[in-house]
Amino acid sequence: MATEIKLPRLGQGMEAGTIVRWLKSEGEQVEKGEPLYELDTDKVTQEVEADASGVLLKIAVSEGEVPVGRTIAVIGEEGEEVSAPEAQTEVDEKPQEEGSRAPARDEERERGKQASTNGSEQVTEIKEPGPARADGRVKASPLARRIARERGIDLAALRGTGPEGRIVAEDVERAATAPAVTTVADRTGEVERVPLTSLRKTIARRMTEAWQAPAFQISMSADMTRAVELRTRLVERAKEGLKPSYNDILIKVCAAALMRHREVNARFAEDAVELLPSADVGIAVAVPNGLIVPVLRAAEVKSIEQIAAESRELVTRTREGKLRQEDLEGGSFTISNLGMYGVEQFVAVLNPPQAAILAVGAVEERVVAAGGELTVRPLMTMTLTCDHRSLDGATASEFLRTVKDYLEEPGLAL
Amino acid sequence: MPELSYREAVRDALSRAMREDENVFIMGEDIAEMGGSMGVTQGMLDEFGPDRVRNTPISEMALVGTAIGAAMQGMRPVAEVMYEDFLTLAAEQIVNQAAKHRYMSGGQLKVPLTVRTQGGAGWSPGAQHAQQLEAWFAHIPGLKVVFASTPTDVRGLLWSSIYDDNPVLFFEHRTLYGLKEDVPEELEPIELGKARVHREGNDVTVVAIGRLVHEALAAAEQAESEGISVEVVDPRTLLPLDEDAIVSSVKKTNRCVVAHEAVTRMGFGAEIAAVVQHQAFDYLDAPVERVGAKFTPLPFAPVMEEYVVPHAADVLAAVKRTVARGD
Repeated sequence: MATEIKLPRLGQGMEAGTIVRWLKSEGEQVEKGEPLYELDTDKVTQEVEADASGVLLKIAVSEGEVPVGRTIAVIGEEGEEVSAPEAQTEVDEKPQEEGSRAPARDEERERGKQASTNGSEQVTEIKEPGPARADGRVKASPLARRIARERGIDLAALRGTGPEGRIVAEDVERAATAPAVTTVADRTGEVERVPLTSLRKTIARRMTEAWQAPAFQISMSADMTRAVELRTRLVERAKEGLKPSYNDILIKVCAAALMRHREVNARFAEDAVELLPSADVGIAVAVPNGLIVPVLRAAEVKSIEQIAAESRELVTRTREGKLRQEDLEGGSFTISNLGMYGVEQFVAVLNPPQAAILAVGAVEERVVAAGGELTVRPLMTMTLTCDHRSLDGATASEFLRTVKDYLEEPGLAL
Repeated sequence: MPELSYREAVRDALSRAMREDENVFIMGEDIAEMGGSMGVTQGMLDEFGPDRVRNTPISEMALVGTAIGAAMQGMRPVAEVMYEDFLTLAAEQIVNQAAKHRYMSGGQLKVPLTVRTQGGAGWSPGAQHAQQLEAWFAHIPGLKVVFASTPTDVRGLLWSSIYDDNPVLFFEHRTLYGLKEDVPEELEPIELGKARVHREGNDVTVVAIGRLVHEALAAAEQAESEGISVEVVDPRTLLPLDEDAIVSSVKKTNRCVVAHEAVTRMGFGAEIAAVVQHQAFDYLDAPVERVGAKFTPLPFAPVMEEYVVPHAADVLAAVKRTVARGD
């Protein structure tokens, strides 16, 4: 019996791979475990071993990009006949009404009988893993359906990776984070009006409000060598537990700096400036079509591990839409980090009535001059946007300098 | 913390209840001088005497019926039915009498009876001495049904069963009697209707009872090494059932496997599957899998018995089906 060789999933999140070249040619004998072809993924290029022994009957994809699970070759016995993959795509199934007895089953049984009696004329069908449809109905798990409903994703456009092509939650999650190719404007169409969601309306109102405040910006870059070491040690310590991120370290460091520069940990209240007693740090979280800033309370008294656990929990609840009103209120300072998108530096808009917001870019290696030499260091650029009604340039600079010092020598934040 | 076997833990709960409360007594076939066919009541005759450790004739109907009468008169009897297969002989008393009196008397009568029994495969007892019949009785309104899987649980649950004012069917598993565990010095009663999460996980919830709790834990260990994180939940009581614990676990993991030694068809697992699909429908990412014995009388031959009843490998295979990708 012939074995279909499918493109394997070699790691979490791998969706496709590129076949570089075949190490065996059609008709050649292959032993299980022998290198069969070279595969290029977004991480590495590697040789993939055959998972069956026999004759390489057919190479269905000689090179190029292939989605995970697609049949790329067939291994079987000498002389076994194999149909071309493009010749047959879907098994022909009669449409049937929901709830009716499945006539397709009878056909399958019939086919099964034929297959078992005509052992000498085995034909291996290579099926495209098409969209998960049976009788026009999309096959998806209840969880996948719920996520799709909540995020407005069309299940019919997805390819299922579950058993029998069922769309499972992971497929929908992946589609939700994938670049939205379907939103490319239809050239023949008209202007598409997307009505504002209540979240979008709130963002529009708050940002317009923020724009009324006289704001100024200052930037500084921090050498992250020690912070990188610190994170590495924290991650090692965490083992299977929660791995603290740079953002968690940054929250801790900012909280310590805010306690030293209380004018920054402040709110403008028309007739007064309110200096706040603890560092309640807002974390800007991207959600589909919007931005939400939940608040992590009293970061100055928490360990990095605690901050990591709490911020992770806040972000999860934000994305799941499970925040409570009190999670959003009363922040004293905000951090907006676009480093994970590769942004080097940017300017954030104030989150009123807070006196300042910190915009953080990626940690990236840059060439810097140090001691008369050019060296390469991991740098991170931060831009602080300040409300000039409550805060002045010198005070803001001192605060940012402290943040920089703490990042460069985390021990100082103790 | 003393180490007790499952067998000793049952005896400990019985003895403590009898020391504390003269209304508690035990009765059953060969439980006095012989100490019970599984040795559970050994030594109890010496401590409590023949009035409170009562041998009965070989009639399950008579012994359970007598216990029901005593219970309605204010005693807290614990009747032992040697093998749960023999519950069929006492079914009239359990199903039509014990389960109904409180209801039919408008609450004027109560039946604080505990019927202890045991069963289970794994030692070639054949088709008539190892069935798992707990689900039969979980179908009867008016009964409570307990199935404990560890020494600590069996002790705390038996105590609560004795002091429950309703008839409780208390199932023990033959192959667990030798299982040892450190238990607290003080007996801690365990409320009926509270599940126990034996192991936390994120990918699949295995709801298991009796021996299969241990098989599920072994399967979870293996799955862990293959990158699948399994949560193991033991409901401990089939009636009342801790639906909240099961449903909230499945809402977290999005996948569910149910596992018991009783035959799969029409089993307790079907009820769990129904509860899960109804209360967590929008959270399921895979069909609920059931693991149980094949639908056949239990064979005597060891290899055949092994083949018929489920083991860790069967639980593991079901776990993998729920996280399967591709065809």
